[in-house]
Amino acid sequence: MKVLVISNTINGRINSNLSNILSAANNLAECCDVFLIGKLIQDSLPNYKCINNVEHYPIDDSLNHALIVAPLISNRILDYSHVLVAADSYGKDLLPRIAGSLYLSQVSEVSEIISPNIFKRAIYAGNILAEIESYEATKLLTIRVANFPSYTSLAANINYKQLNSEVVNDIRTKILFESISNVDTVDINTAEVIVSGGSALLSKDNFDHLIGSLAFQLSGAVGASRAAVESGFATNDCQIGQTGRIVAPKVYIAVGISGAVQHIAGMKNSQVVIAINSDINAPIFEYADYGMVGDLFTVIPELINKLSNN
Amino acid sequence: MKILVCVKRVVDSNVRVRVMQDNSDVDIALSKMSLNPFDENAIEEAIRLKELGLTQEVVAISIGGDKCEDTLRTALARGCDRGILVETLVSHEPINIAKILTSVVKLEQPDLVLLGKQAIDDDSNQVAQMLAGKLNLPQATFASKLRLSDNKLEVTREVDGGIQNILVSLPAIVSVDLSINEPRFIKLPQLMQVKKR
Ligand SMILES: Cc1cc2nc3c(=O)[nH]c(=O)nc-3n(C[C@H](O)[C@H](O)[C@H](O)COP(=O)(O)OP(=O)(O)OC[C@H]3O[C@@H](n4cnc5c(N)ncnc54)[C@H](O)[C@@H]3O)c2cc1C
Repeated sequence: MKVLVISNTINGRINSNLSNILSAANNLAECCDVFLIGKLIQDSLPNYKCINNVEHYPIDDSLNHALIVAPLISNRILDYSHVLVAADSYGKDLLPRIAGSLYLSQVSEVSEIISPNIFKRAIYAGNILAEIESYEATKLLTIRVANFPSYTSLAANINYKQLNSEVVNDIRTKILFESISNVDTVDINTAEVIVSGGSALLSKDNFDHLIGSLAFQLSGAVGASRAAVESGFATNDCQIGQTGRIVAPKVYIAVGISGAVQHIAGMKNSQVVIAINSDINAPIFEYADYGMVGDLFTVIPELINKLSNN
Repeated sequence: MKILVCVKRVVDSNVRVRVMQDNSDVDIALSKMSLNPFDENAIEEAIRLKELGLTQEVVAISIGGDKCEDTLRTALARGCDRGILVETLVSHEPINIAKILTSVVKLEQPDLVLLGKQAIDDDSNQVAQMLAGKLNLPQATFASKLRLSDNKLEVTREVDGGIQNILVSLPAIVSVDLSINEPRFIKLPQLMQVKKR
C-alpha cells in the first residue's frame, strides 16, 4: 500500500486541515507521501512522523488552481494505491479533475475508512450512510475533515524535496480576486464552539450583534443556516449543511434555526448541540442535547450579558 | 453561442429516503422524483443568458432511464430549446456520466456547459470537474455569479475563504451553486404545453 496526501498552502501557510488528512491516511498505512502545492511564507511544515517524503511545488497563488495543478501532478498519481485530499473547496475542485483526466472513479467526502477498499460516506443529505467498495488500483478519496482528529506525532526530521521546475501558465484561466478570510475570527474548521444563526435573526445587524457577540464571548466561530446566508445576514463561507460546511465542534449552538435535514447534515456529528427556538415543535430539538424554547431576542442578550459579567 | 445544461432526475428533496430491509440499497422505487435543485439553477442561468441575447441555443441533456424524459420536459418548460436523452439501464458512477457527457460535448460543440455543483442524492460533486479534466477545458466550480462578454466568462466562485473571481476563456465547464439565482416559477400550462410537444 502506497498512500499519497495532497495539500495546499493558503496565504503562505500550511492548510490547517493537513493534520486531519494525515490521520485519515494513518488508517491505511503507517507512513505516506505528501505533495504540498503552493508557496510557504509564513510557516513551515511540521516534521510529522507519518510522512515519508514531501514534495513541495512552491507555485504562485495566482497559478494554484486545478487547470494548472492537475496536469502538474496527475502523471505521478498512478504510483499510489490511495490518494487523499481534504473535501474542502480546493480539494473538491482539484481531485475530480485529476480523476477525469485519468479516467478513474472517486469516492467523495469519506467519513470513515473501514478497510483499504471500503469507505463510509453520507448520501441523501446525510440521511443515509453508505459503504462504498472501490476496485480501482488507485483509489481517489476526498476526506471529510471533521471526522478525523488532528495528527500530532512529530519526528526529528522529514525527507523534504522542493521542486522548482518552471510551471507553465495556462492563460485560459486567470484569478482576478480572492477574498482573504479574516484572521481575527476563529477558524470554523477547528473551532471548539460554533454559534449558528438562522433566518429568525431578521437582519445582518441583529446577526452580527447577537450571533457575532455570543460567538466572541465563547471564543467560538460563527455559523449560519442557508436561509440566513441567502438573506445576506452572513457570508456563504459560514453556511453549515449539505451544501455548505460539515462541522463537528464540541459545542454547536443553533439560534433561530428550524433544523431542516439539509442543515442537520452539516452539524449532526457535533458532540453537544444546544438549540434556542421559539417553536417547541421545531425539528432542531430532536437533535439537541439541550433545548431552550424562547425568543432569541430576549434569551441571547441575557446570555451575552451573563457571560460578559463573568 | 450555445449552452449545454446537464440535468439529473433525483429523489425530491422533501422525501425522507429509507434503506431496504436487507441494507443493500436505498428504497426509492415509489419516491417522488424531481429535477435536481442545483440543475434547476443551472437551467435558470442558461435561460437568463439567452434572454440577455448572449446565447442563441440552450440544450438540455439527461442521462438515465426513460423516466428522465420528464426531467427533460421540465427543462423545456423552463425555456430550454432542445432536450437530449441518453438512455441507460443502470445508474452510473460520476466518472461514467462524465465519459458519456464527453461524447455529447464533442458532438454538440457547446461554448459553455452548465451543471449543478452536486446532485442531492449521492452528493458527490464530481461530474463537472471530471468532464473538464477529460476534455482538458477550463473549469469554474461552485459558481455564484456569471458575467459573459467577448468569449470570456467572469465567474464568482464560493470558496472556503469567502469568494474568488476568475476569468475563464470559452469553451468552459461551469458548476453552479444554489446562490447563483432564484429559479422562476413555471406555470402548469407551460408544462402541459411541453407534454404535448
Ligand atoms: C438542495 C438544498 C440544499 C440545501 N442546503 C442547505 C445547507 O447546506 N444548509 C442549510 O442550513 N440549509 C440548506 N437548505 C435549506 C434548508 O432546507 C432550510 O430552508 C434552511 O436550513 C432553513 O433555514 P433556517 O432554519 O434559518 O430558517 P427557517 O426554516 O425559516 O427557520 C427559522 C426558525 O427560527 C425560529 N424562530 C423564529 N423567530 C424566532 C425568535 N424570535 N426566537 C427564536 N426562534 C425563532 C422558527 O421557529 C424557525 O424554527 C438546502 C435546501 C435545499 C433544497
